[in-house]
Amino acid sequence: MAADPVPLPVPATDHAAVRDAPGRTAYAPAPKGVRWFKQLGWRYLVALVAVAFALMPVYFVLLASVSPTATLQGSQLIPREVTTANYTRLFEVTPYWTWLGNSLKIAGGAALANMMLSAMAAYAFSRLRFKGRRVGLLTILLVQMFPQLLANVAIFLFLVNVRTYFPAIGFGTQLGLFLVYLGGALGTNTWLMKGFFDTVPTDLDESARVDGATHGQIFVKIILPLSAPILVVAGLLSFIFLFNEFILASILLGQDDGNQTLATGLYRFIDQNYGQQWGPFTAGALIGSLPTLLLFLFGQRWIVSGLTSGSVKG
Amino acid sequence: MSTQQTAGRGAGTAPRPAGGPNGRRPARESFADRLAARLGSNSLIGLFGKLVFLGVVNGMGLYAVSTLLPARAWTPLAVVLIATIAIDVVYLSKRTLPLKFLIPGTIALLVFQVYPVLYTAYIGFTNYGTGNVLTQEQAVGRILATSTRVPEDATRFRSTPLVDDADGTLALLLTDPDGDVFLGTEAGLEPLTDADVAGEGRDITVRERFRPLTLGEAQQREDEVLAFSVPITDADAADLEEGAAADAITVQTFTTAAVSVTALEYDEGTGTILDTTTGLVYEPVMGTYTAEDGSTLRPGFRDVVGFTNYQQVLTSPAIRGPFLRVFVWTFAFAFLSMLTTFVMGLALAMALNDPRIKGRRFTRSLLIIPYALPSFMTALIWRGLLNQSFGPINRMFDWSVPWLSSQAFAGALPKFSILLVNLWLGFGYMFLINTGALQAIPSDLTEAARVDGASGWQAFRNVTLPLLLVAVGPLLIASFAFNFNNFNVVYLLTGGGPPIGGTPTPAGHTDILISYSYRLAFESGRGQDFGLAAAVSSIIFVLVAVFSYIGFKRTAVLEEIN
Repeated sequence: MAADPVPLPVPATDHAAVRDAPGRTAYAPAPKGVRWFKQLGWRYLVALVAVAFALMPVYFVLLASVSPTATLQGSQLIPREVTTANYTRLFEVTPYWTWLGNSLKIAGGAALANMMLSAMAAYAFSRLRFKGRRVGLLTILLVQMFPQLLANVAIFLFLVNVRTYFPAIGFGTQLGLFLVYLGGALGTNTWLMKGFFDTVPTDLDESARVDGATHGQIFVKIILPLSAPILVVAGLLSFIFLFNEFILASILLGQDDGNQTLATGLYRFIDQNYGQQWGPFTAGALIGSLPTLLLFLFGQRWIVSGLTSGSVKG
Repeated sequence: MSTQQTAGRGAGTAPRPAGGPNGRRPARESFADRLAARLGSNSLIGLFGKLVFLGVVNGMGLYAVSTLLPARAWTPLAVVLIATIAIDVVYLSKRTLPLKFLIPGTIALLVFQVYPVLYTAYIGFTNYGTGNVLTQEQAVGRILATSTRVPEDATRFRSTPLVDDADGTLALLLTDPDGDVFLGTEAGLEPLTDADVAGEGRDITVRERFRPLTLGEAQQREDEVLAFSVPITDADAADLEEGAAADAITVQTFTTAAVSVTALEYDEGTGTILDTTTGLVYEPVMGTYTAEDGSTLRPGFRDVVGFTNYQQVLTSPAIRGPFLRVFVWTFAFAFLSMLTTFVMGLALAMALNDPRIKGRRFTRSLLIIPYALPSFMTALIWRGLLNQSFGPINRMFDWSVPWLSSQAFAGALPKFSILLVNLWLGFGYMFLINTGALQAIPSDLTEAARVDGASGWQAFRNVTLPLLLVAVGPLLIASFAFNFNNFNVVYLLTGGGPPIGGTPTPAGHTDILISYSYRLAFESGRGQDFGLAAAVSSIIFVLVAVFSYIGFKRTAVLEEIN
């Protein structure tokens, strides 16, 4: 499943990782005894400690989600009693599936739209030569430096104003949040994709142009299919980022229960609304972790290459 | 890349006029083809799609105009018109090729990113916030509407606040000194007869519609109840022997109300408000109508106050103190987060980068799990794990360590906890990229160094590390920048707390600038202060811009664009 991080031909850092040399030292026979420990054994020990550090909280979450008590269970590591009460309670008390659906809808839709918008922009920056190209690329970089969430006050007041004229996309609507997420489309992803598009040979589109294809056709029928890997990376990273986004969602979605995303909805369990209910919260957290966890494990090879070419998680 | 084969083939399937090289077409063409070509498409399907798209855009534009025009919202109207026309021009013209690809993203960028940034800078110069939410015009209206005074000889009523369960509207049951009973609503005063009233005391109902507020409801809607007023007409006034000057019946306490008169007059010429009972003149000063003796009228309005907010942040000791602490901690937090995750990730990568180790891929998958889980959840889970009284960490060892709430040594322990949690969240990422980067370093180099007599440490220090830093350097800068604004971890783990004592703004020992700004804007104890929050945001932006510029300069990104 999880392969070595083999980067795609992203013109960034480490092509050489492809040249990982498994054969070079593998010929040496495995050492024994004390020498074994000095050379290899301690490495296993380090791995064990690191894995324990990584998984310990996850184990507590699993434990708490099946525990009959309302707190995060602590004193015993093996549960005496296992129950599904927290899960049933979660589904009874909260519109949990609506939250999950909202999250998938908003994050998925915005990630897809972001992918398309930045791919279009990247095509222009990669294939076309026009006045203001350099300035455009630099502007994107500059604007990106100001994280959108820093402008949270302005975005909030802006959407409150929008609501007076267009209630459908103003403050308190999911469509409004979706549109705000689109604002970040021309950013890191554009750079990432432009870098990739640059590596697609221009001979291909030139010959297509000789055959009479328009730029639109070249973009849709040549560049996009050839760039599927980077599109997937950019889409996945956007999705994970937006699925995780808390601050704008908590400001812009208002108080309505059915309107929340998973992040803002589940937060209420720990915050005031439902009181500190760790049982249902952990149950919800476990289910809610699955989409990104699965995406991550199955897309690991691609995501890693995307990460190493400059994107960071949110 | 299995999609590769299909790519070129698809291009040929679209119907298009047989054209020579350079897109030159034969002389005879159907009208449709010529039209399509004129509009920049070479296929009817493309043309159709374009027209549908433009139809939708123009339809939405028209709808927006039809909403904005009657509302006289000129600025948004101009924005909508310009955007719609720009899209039409770009997609119908043949000369705007790059813009065809750029305009959707550009519009999104301008509206939801550039505009908010500029708006933030503007709000930083205003007093926008609780008490100053309205425009000046709205504020004057509100001040005049609620600016009533009760003359000494006014008629006073016994009053009971009522509520209509159907829609929650309030009303008053009023009894004047003569014993006459009235129903006061927002619409006016109506005399009541015995038939209108049923029941007594707490169970009374009026016209089968209103019942008295319960104590709880009264407390909950206290502001509304106390601000409730019943307009009265001249006829009512005559009825109540008040004369024509009476304007309204206003609530005095929960059980009394009185006839009152409007005492404030707005002078359009000078823009001032005159109090006819005291003779004081109120002038608009920095968003508040203020008289010479310093008394003010509520509510205020939003107004440009110049550098006041910035000045407060930078000079007012009560705000500057906590701000500086938050500022320093933000840098420390970002730097230490980057450093700890990098060191741990590198150490792990080096330990596990031995091909003789079995199950490397599996281990890698396990180690990446903390990074792959949504951080808004894991941050909250750590909040539970580290809880002083019920957190498993304390219970397992029978401790009572205030991991997240200790105030001692400027919150050193909560700061440590945050770094620990961020280490847990981030080391998987650093482990991945370091593993990749390590494998990219040819082992010949370190071997050569060893042959030349370098110790393991020397080889690492002088050969491996420099090469590694070249590869991951930009990512370390990105990590620093990311943690600089790592809202989720700070806000969800500690909420910024524990609070720094004796400050007028909500500042906590673990607050970083972004969480501080958020809390200022949305959960400050003295109400929302959008102006101050925006000023803080603007200051952060300048800082981020400066540091990014230095970073980019060093990584030479600016020179590489071609």
